[in-house]
Amino acid sequence: MLLAVLASLAVFFLDSRLDYFKPVRSILSTVVYPLQATASMPSNFVDWVGDFFQDREQLREQVTVLNASNKLQSLRLQKMQALERENMRLRELLGSSFRLQERVQVAELLTVDLDPFSQQVIIDKGENYGVYVGQPVLDAHGVMGQVTETSYLSSRVVLLTDPSHSIPVQINRNGLRAVVTGRGLGETLKMDFLPHNADVRAGDQLVTSGLGGRFPVGYPVGKVVSVEFPQGKAFADIKVAPAANLSTSRELMLVLPGEKIRTEPTVDKPGASEATATINPDASEAAATLSDSSGENNAGEVADGNE
Amino acid sequence: MAMSDIPRNGFMIVLTIIIAMLLMMVPLPESARFFRPEWVVLTLMYWAMALPHRVSIGVGWLSGLIMDVMMGGTLGVMAFSYAFAVYLIARFHLQLRQYPLWQQALTIFSVVLLVHFVSVMAGRPEMSWVVWMPVVTSTLMWPVIYPVLRKIRRTFQVS
Repeated sequence: MLLAVLASLAVFFLDSRLDYFKPVRSILSTVVYPLQATASMPSNFVDWVGDFFQDREQLREQVTVLNASNKLQSLRLQKMQALERENMRLRELLGSSFRLQERVQVAELLTVDLDPFSQQVIIDKGENYGVYVGQPVLDAHGVMGQVTETSYLSSRVVLLTDPSHSIPVQINRNGLRAVVTGRGLGETLKMDFLPHNADVRAGDQLVTSGLGGRFPVGYPVGKVVSVEFPQGKAFADIKVAPAANLSTSRELMLVLPGEKIRTEPTVDKPGASEATATINPDASEAAATLSDSSGENNAGEVADGNE
Repeated sequence: MAMSDIPRNGFMIVLTIIIAMLLMMVPLPESARFFRPEWVVLTLMYWAMALPHRVSIGVGWLSGLIMDVMMGGTLGVMAFSYAFAVYLIARFHLQLRQYPLWQQALTIFSVVLLVHFVSVMAGRPEMSWVVWMPVVTSTLMWPVIYPVLRKIRRTFQVS
């Protein structure tokens, strides 16, 4: 028993204090991955049976709906790409930093229940796909969270609602910056440290501000639900509903590295004009690679023609 | 007596523990999530009571460590509490075997309470009564899991 106590304390200490214990943990996670995969099998099987017995009418309907939404999306994308070009050119003129389009990788959730008191999920992509700690995770509607732990075959994602997770945001309407923190247990998020006179209203859209350099700029985080100013407290009490479907999304998107936001201020340096001059060719190159990457889409060519 | 010294069908013990671990992770509906019994502790406690020379503190510690890794908590927390549970049961296994089922369940209640107390102390910011529900459901599951595991032990003559 004494041995077990000592071993527990040793592991406890190593895990919480020392960084180089991470690989050990990652190996252990890889070892238990088959167990987790097995545990997710029953619900996957139920899904599969459901898919199998879907009738023809339903599928047809689904295809129609998806086709319609696909058309709508690609229409929007055409306009988006033109706007993105314009934005980039304007930013070049200003000599300010610009951002490339992020590329994403799709990962699937393992349907496994973890400790119901911490808001984490496991996804089926790990170091074998280049997932790294701190990688932002999105779903179709907004930011979901970030990767906290990776193993060879799987990784663990902490959701926005986890009490230990905060994300820098910006209000779409007026550009006010703030920090949004989770509160756990499927509750709304809260917006911290905003004084009583801050310009926040219910219904404001929040997007990532890109400060801190971890999340890319401009992805929706949530919507302000209620704003209260409790008497005798220094800060406002602001509740935020997350934009992503945290509890129902099965497919997540991992933002790939390399396309990180560049934030080099070129204004207050001596010889700023030179700096912009050197940035310019870079920018056009980047634009060229951008249109290459979306080359299979007609929209990309349309945007090229505009230039 | 010589028979019981030879380990037999030990894989059945491992199999039941693995099944218990799977049960800990199988998705439940949102409302039932907080009522999930501590399957692994229950299984470990049965084996510690029936075959204390086979399922030792080490086995408990190892299964706890695996649970730690799977649940993503700090390593060592569940390892410690599981080892502690096995220790308590193995220490009193002779008395426990004589008890009627309901009295066993009471003992189980207190041990699971201890186990759960350790993992609750290990870090949960919000405390509510729901935190303690697994203790109650585990106790209620004992009269079910005990006969099932005993049947397994006798059928496969695990020793």
